[in-house]
Amino acid sequence: MKRKLLSVLLATAMVATLMVGCGKTETETTETETTETETEVAETETEAAGYAGELSIMHFSTSEESQGNGGSDGFRTMLSQWQAANPDITLTEEVLANAEYKTQIATYAAAGDLPDVFLLQGMNTKTWAAQGLILDLTDAVNSSPYAADYNKAYLTPFMDGDTIYGYPALTGGTCTVVVYDSAKWAEAGFDTFPTTWADVEAASAYFDEQGVDTIAFGNGGGWQANSCFISTLGNRYTGKEWYQSMIDKAGASFEDAEFVAALAETQRLFTSTSIFNEDFNAITNEDAREYYISGDAAAFIGGNWDVSYIQSTLSGTDLYNTTKFAVLPQPADATKDPNSQNIGLGYAVAVSTEVANDPAKLAAAIDLAQYLTGPEFSTFVAENYALGGFTNVANVDLSGFDQWTQDFYNWSYVDTTACEIYDSYLTGDVWGLFNTDLQTMMNGGITPEDVAKHAQEAYLANY
Amino acid sequence: MPESIQPKKIVIFGYMLVPMTLFIFAVFVPLVAAGVFSFFEWKGGPNKIFIGLENYITLINDEIFWTAFGNNIFLVVACIIGQIGLAFVFSLMIYSRLVKFKSIHRTFGFFPSTVSAVAVGFIWRMVFDYKNGVINWFLTAIGQEDLTRVWLNDEKIIMFVVAIPLIWQYIGYYMIIILSAMSSVSQEIFEVAELDGANGIQRAIYIIFPLIKNTLLVCLTLCIAGNMKAFDNIYVMTKGGPGYSSNVMAMYAYNISFDKSNNLGYGSAISVGIFVLSLLVIGGSQLLINRATRSKEV
Repeated sequence: MKRKLLSVLLATAMVATLMVGCGKTETETTETETTETETEVAETETEAAGYAGELSIMHFSTSEESQGNGGSDGFRTMLSQWQAANPDITLTEEVLANAEYKTQIATYAAAGDLPDVFLLQGMNTKTWAAQGLILDLTDAVNSSPYAADYNKAYLTPFMDGDTIYGYPALTGGTCTVVVYDSAKWAEAGFDTFPTTWADVEAASAYFDEQGVDTIAFGNGGGWQANSCFISTLGNRYTGKEWYQSMIDKAGASFEDAEFVAALAETQRLFTSTSIFNEDFNAITNEDAREYYISGDAAAFIGGNWDVSYIQSTLSGTDLYNTTKFAVLPQPADATKDPNSQNIGLGYAVAVSTEVANDPAKLAAAIDLAQYLTGPEFSTFVAENYALGGFTNVANVDLSGFDQWTQDFYNWSYVDTTACEIYDSYLTGDVWGLFNTDLQTMMNGGITPEDVAKHAQEAYLANY
Repeated sequence: MPESIQPKKIVIFGYMLVPMTLFIFAVFVPLVAAGVFSFFEWKGGPNKIFIGLENYITLINDEIFWTAFGNNIFLVVACIIGQIGLAFVFSLMIYSRLVKFKSIHRTFGFFPSTVSAVAVGFIWRMVFDYKNGVINWFLTAIGQEDLTRVWLNDEKIIMFVVAIPLIWQYIGYYMIIILSAMSSVSQEIFEVAELDGANGIQRAIYIIFPLIKNTLLVCLTLCIAGNMKAFDNIYVMTKGGPGYSSNVMAMYAYNISFDKSNNLGYGSAISVGIFVLSLLVIGGSQLLINRATRSKEV
């Protein structure tokens, strides 16, 4: 009898454990962080005051990422302030590193189970809008109390036709900047970074003798050559109208001669010159920037996130004082704007359509989105990091910043012209294929014409 | 079994309920769900369009998928030779009377298979690193600088490179299985063989190999199944690159479904393709081995 009782108890315990496990998955998060108010609570009463209950948000501003990264720091600070100002709302955060975030949010989208508020990547806008996953925020954006100060140009990746699906978030940062050691380049005979690739090739002969890479670049992840190179180099050949036509499906093609010429120049630079580190396709941008930091490379090409890291790492060193910024050099046969760099906001705060079922909750979600991208955020990143966001802030006083920060602010927002970040638009089906082909092309394994042909086929089939 | 100690059917059913439920939810339901999704055009979200066999027609004509399948087959062959072959040789060496500290060899041999495949991938990525890796450092140190290369960006050798960590990690795992099979062989047989003048190689080929044949077949099946779903360490080392040169089927399904695209319908079709091809490869190899061993026995 005892044995039978024990058997029943064990079986019950096993079933109970199983059931508890099943039930838990709904509320478990990979990294749930309870926000604590460390900063000043916003004084303004928010629209969310009428809602009491849960609100979930998913983002990728981890505590590690926010160290030295103005956008992430500002995002986390705004979240804390908003939470403190709305004590009746239980804000559940799911915070993942960027790479994991992209996979996880796609999984939630596939299951039709997106968080209430999340960060939407530009290239997912049209697909997720067609699926009815993201809420039309056109009226909310246009009637926002900060609407007059919004930089409307940043909205484009998050629009489908005239419909707006998100508030552009974080900071407007470049995806393609040349970070160079002016002291090394002066030794090579260049007072400033060369404006043509021909001059960079000439300099590479000198740096080869010194045992130093001329430019460090990492494309091991496959996306870097797209986001941090071809997106700007392509604009030098095609101009901005061409990509606008690609976005609008107005007749432009990946197989257009100008774009193929940009691919051919990319292949030539990586296969026929000694400008770049040999292992560019085997390492990531994180590895490549270490080559620059350690002095093994005279320059580095990456995005604003790399500049933040390099700045915090080099602080207090000689290299910190000699580091300068430049745009990509101009190819000899390119005819368009030689001063362009791709800059924008890659993500927007979006709201799940499910939230619309509860008007009070929706008001809270929109209030949160507006707070995360509004003047408080822009003022915070401008005053602390000399960065810009979706909402314009007038008269940024840079005098309190060191030379590095002032130089990068002017380079990003004043001295250069903006072009589009390719993979903020179109669809992942195109870029997945294109990035892989591009990696092969940079090894000389496929022709630029074939890369363009495959991309165009994917574009026609999926966009 | 006497009826008095045989549990009632309801008790047996109760015990079976939990593992069967787990199995159904963890294996059967996802498999059936993937099968259903594979007939739809589904880019995530609630909207799915039924397209019949279109995803499978695309799969049959998809060169990238078949390249990935070829890479899986390469891994299977390399790992059968590298993992089971070397494990058999190492087992013979450890089993030898000349070798001391057998338990230490067994423990350290088995250790890599307990390490996460992701960690193994990172370790070997550092080993193969172009600028700071041990291999290029060693080649330079012995004056063979010409042989240094960007190991993880050479399409011609990349499959060999990513196979090495896989082989290294699981030699010990198969060694333990083979050693346990060898220990079940009666010592008297070895003593008689030794009296008859059989050397070590002859004992391995004519005594040990036939007597542990069934265990080796189990190892073979595990090895094939394991390498048909290889993913982790390759993802960490190369992400399937450069280009598609180290892409494997599971990685392709992952990229299509989540990483580089959100095409869950086609990703499901690829998953079903992996399942069918794995069954064919495992079943085919079993059939071949059974035939070969049967004809020998005749």
